[in-house]
Parts: sequence; C-alpha cells; structure tokens
Amino acid sequence: MPDRTPLLRAENVVKHFPAGLGASVKAVENVSLEIYPGETVGLVGESGCGKSTLGRLITQLLPVTSGNIFFDGVDLTKLRGEKLRQYRRQLQMIFQDPYSSLNPRMTVGDIIAEPLENFGLLRGRAKDQRVQELLKIVGLNPYFNNRYPHEFSGGQRQRIGIARALALRPKLIVADEPISALDVSIQAQIINLMEDLQKEFQLTYLFIAHDLSVVRHISDRVMVMYLGKIVEVADSVEIYRNPRHPYTKALLSAIPIPDPEIQSKRRIVALTGEIPSPVNPPSGCRFHTRCPIAQLPTPCADQEPPLEDKARDHRAACFFSEKVPVAV
Amino acid sequence: MSQPVLQLKGLKTQFFTDDGVVQAVDGVSFDLHPGETLGIVGESGCGKSVTALSILRLVQEPGRIVNGQILFRGDDIVTMSDEEVREIRGKDIAMIFQDPLSSLNPVLTVGFQIEEAIEAHRKVPTKMALSRAVELLKQVRIPAAESRVHDYPHQFSGGMRQRAMIAMGLANAPSILIADEPTTALDVTVQAQILELLRDLNRDLNTAIILITHNMGVVASLCTRVLVMYAGRVVEQGPVERIFKDPQHPYTWSLLQSIPRLDSDRHDRLLSIEGFPPDLIRPPHGCRFNPRCQFKIDRCLHDDPALMNVGPDQDAACWVTMRRALAPNGERRA
Repeated sequence: MPDRTPLLRAENVVKHFPAGLGASVKAVENVSLEIYPGETVGLVGESGCGKSTLGRLITQLLPVTSGNIFFDGVDLTKLRGEKLRQYRRQLQMIFQDPYSSLNPRMTVGDIIAEPLENFGLLRGRAKDQRVQELLKIVGLNPYFNNRYPHEFSGGQRQRIGIARALALRPKLIVADEPISALDVSIQAQIINLMEDLQKEFQLTYLFIAHDLSVVRHISDRVMVMYLGKIVEVADSVEIYRNPRHPYTKALLSAIPIPDPEIQSKRRIVALTGEIPSPVNPPSGCRFHTRCPIAQLPTPCADQEPPLEDKARDHRAACFFSEKVPVAV
Repeated sequence: MSQPVLQLKGLKTQFFTDDGVVQAVDGVSFDLHPGETLGIVGESGCGKSVTALSILRLVQEPGRIVNGQILFRGDDIVTMSDEEVREIRGKDIAMIFQDPLSSLNPVLTVGFQIEEAIEAHRKVPTKMALSRAVELLKQVRIPAAESRVHDYPHQFSGGMRQRAMIAMGLANAPSILIADEPTTALDVTVQAQILELLRDLNRDLNTAIILITHNMGVVASLCTRVLVMYAGRVVEQGPVERIFKDPQHPYTWSLLQSIPRLDSDRHDRLLSIEGFPPDLIRPPHGCRFNPRCQFKIDRCLHDDPALMNVGPDQDAACWVTMRRALAPNGERRA
C-alpha cells in the first residue's frame, strides 16, 4: 500500500488551447488526481482525449489555464523562474518517439550529460563517470558515450531517453507512450527495465498509453480519460474485472486478446463513431453521443455526472454505473 | 480442398543498396485459398510488407524480385508484362495500407477516387460509377454516404478514411484483399470496428484476406491461418488455434510470452527476447533467430532449418521445437 500523502496532486486543472476565431480546444477540463510515492499510475484513453496534455501540465512543460498542481505540497503553478526550475529536476519525462526526442547532432554522452550541466551539478571526470554509470543502469555499454543516436536501434534509443530522464535523480517520471513506437519483442525489454528502475530508485511513474493491456500490466492504478475528463479511476485489477464506466468497458472489450478461442467468444461493446471534437464537446456527459447505455436526453445529455466513489478506491463518472456489464 | 487462388513458391525479394544486398524476403512460400483469412505477423523489417508488395509487383527500386513464383490462379505474376499486372492490380488483388491519409489524394473527393478505381478496369457511365461509389461507402458503413461521397479526405476521420480505402479496394470485387497494418494508426475502439467490417466482408463477399500486422491480438480476432515471419523467412505457419495454443518455433513462443495480456493474471515480469532483429545484409549463419534464441543447440549455429511438419497442418523451421525445449527430461540435449 502506497503512502497516503500524495507526491503529486492536481486540483481542477484546466487547459484550453486557442483554436482561432474565439474558439478553443478544451484539451483538459477540470481534472483532479493524486499520485502517491512509489506507485505507477496508468493514464489511458483514445488519441485526442488529453492524456498527453495532462502529462505535460504535470511536468510543467505547459502552463495550466487554471487549477493547481501540488508537488510535495508546493503549488507548482504559482512558481516562476529559478524556483520552478529547481522543481523541474524532480519531474522528468520519457517520450514516445525515440527518434525525434534525441538530438541527432549530439553524442549520447552529451545528451545524457545535458541535464547535469543545466543544473551545474557535475563536471569533468565526475560527469563522465555519472554518464557511464547511467548508460550501464539502462543496460547499454558504458563506452558507447561517444556514439550518435543514429547508431542505435529504437529500443536502445529509448534506453538513452530513460538514462537522460534518470540523470537528475527525479522522483516522478511521466512516460508518454514510451513503448508504442517499439517492436513487440523490444517492448517487453523496456517495460521490464522500467519496472527494475522503479524498484532500484523508488521512482513514481505516470505511464501514459493507449494500450490498456500494457497499462494494466505495469500500473498499480489506472485512470481512464475521455475528451478532457477523467471518467474512471481504480486499482488496475479491479478496473478490468469490474469497470464502472461504459467507456472503460468498451475500451477493454475492443482490445483483441491474442487467443483465437477466447477472442471468438468475446462480445465487443461496439462504440459507434469516433471521439467528438474537443472544440465543441457534447453537453452533459461527454460520452453520451457514443454511450450504449445512455438515457437521453435526461440525465445524460443535460447533466454532467460527477467523478464519485462507486466502491472502495474506485471512482467513476456515470449516472448508471451499476448497469455497466461485467468484464469479458 | 479448393484450388488455391494464390500460391507463393520460394519468393526472394532483395534490395540492392550501396551497403550490400538486403535479403528482405528470402524464400517465402504459402498457399491462399478462396475466402481464407491469412495473417502474416512479424516485427518491422521481417519482410512481411515486402512480401505483400511483391505480390502486386509494387516493390520499388533498388528492390527486385530475384527468384520464385507468385501464381495467381496458376499464372505467374513475376513473369507477367506490366500491362498484365495492371489488369490484376486493383481488380483481382487489391491492397490497403496503414496510413489512409497518405494513401488518399487530398485534392480529390473521396467519391472521385473510388470512381477512378472502378473506371480503371471497366468503362462505366459517370452516373453509374457515382452510384456504385455510394453503394460501396454504404457497404463499409459510412453514414450519410450520398452526401459524404462528395467530401475530401480531410473531412473524414481516421477510421472513416480507412473505410474509404477499403471501399476503394472492394470497388472491383477482388478475390484477394491485402491489408497492410490496416488498424495500426487507429484507436482500439475504431480498430475493433474496422476488424468487424473486414470479417463481415470476408463472410459476405468471400474475399480472401491477407492481413499483415505485428499485433497478435488482431490476428487472433480475424484470421484462420497465420504465417510468422522473422528476418525474411517464414519460421512457422499453421491454423491460428494451433499457433496460439501450441507454438513450436521459439520465436513464435517468445513473442506470445512477451506481450502483456488483458486476460492473464498480472504477473511481475514479461519474457523479453534479448537483442534485436538481425541485419539482413549479413544475416547470421545457421538459423537466423539463433543469436536471440534461448533454446538453441549447436546445430542451430551452422545448419539452417527448413520448415518441417510439427503438428496437424503446422510447420516450423526449428531444430529444437518448443515441444522438446520445454520437455522436462532434458531430451533436447539429444
């Protein structure tokens, strides 16, 4: 059981991007969440649901439109300049694309050393030693520090990205789809590495992905996002066994299980259409336009269901959560 | 058993690059029967897409088919004239790609592009082509097809674009549809819709489907037979039930063990296949998987295994096979 004082707490976080002509993309809308020390929280949802934006708000790579983000009790949204910079050390990010997230003109050693230099932490031999140590930690040859990113495969580059994220000994790492660009046989290597590093360095992860089976494997708790809102939060075993939001249920049933016998017996909760535009999200519950159990127009199209406790440590935002069918 | 509609016999496709000859597809053989759904799985660079492109003779320079036969209803596509291949392409064998946005022309309406596909193979009055395009869009379940037919690709969502691509592929009622990673760029909920559509089309129109993917779950939900490719070779093939339940090649077995499953208990560690796929300019001696194989024996290092029968309708290219590798009594040392 993780410590009950959250390492990170977001309160009513909103992010709107201007979309011209006075319109705005409501990427993240009133999201509140907690992440506890040492845990892995999975954040899932379809493309465009706001999960990556939320990750970037948490790491302070994007400013919030409104709301607060507390890290170790300090409100990061109130910090500026050097004070904020010092907190950035604790919050690192691993990106999806290991090709575009590494500067092709820098050696791997320089890439990993850059955060150390930015914060003026180590110099000369001590810095080189730390870089070599980091390469070793992520399972690469420590003498590869003079090579360039193009000399490495996708999986190795992702290891370099992880080494860079570890350089400043962060507390929280936000991993945004860290394995989706990798080959199947390489994905397991990176997942295992991330799990080992978490144990070794007491890391806390926010693991963003669209693949619920990967998220379920690595996460202690899972949050499901739909069109800028968190619609369900629960323990990763529980959310699979007993989803309380019809969207979670649909998402789970859509993931093909690599077993033809089981797969032929499963009933897929078919969602019609695709995720609506976040410029003009639907009224009431944002999922009502695709929901198989919505009662229209009242209450689903005119009231917004709150994210509330449905069971112990299990929150969902649905008026009819008891009607969501049981898993598989 | 019916006559196969497509037969590949020892297909070899190579790329002649400045660094050397890439043996992208190295002796691939299989039969495809009418109405069958065949999955080809493997990682990037294993030759699955090049195999598909070879079937339609779409391999670009510096690539070339250097050996083997591709028999479509008995006629060899490899030796046909360009004219003859064009007749088959899009009419008898159609192909859809991973990224529907880059496969559609952004300055032409979706309807126009479907009409073009129809008119490429027969002369039809414009009005009839249009109504056929609408009919096809309805078949792939595009809502309000009559008006959407005049839309441009950017007005379609990702899933709708892939539907439009499928509609185009079906324009001439082909006997084979090759789908190269058709759902990889799509969200899972949309992927489920597209897979269901392909399943229905296969059932209703009896179109044989070759589905190329890296996703084992996708194969399990659509295909009846599967080929597993590694480093340009077929390493295992058989009916899906056999391959998923009793894989005999260590690569197939490891691949299935390395993916987290939604329905399994949350175990702590995934099996990971160490290393990465080989360089196909200088592939390893012996079995191409041997540098990454945890079950290899001495023979694997120098003797290249061919596909051998390992079960009912199931073949694997392995000297060890999982049956022996997992046997408790150390039989595999023999």
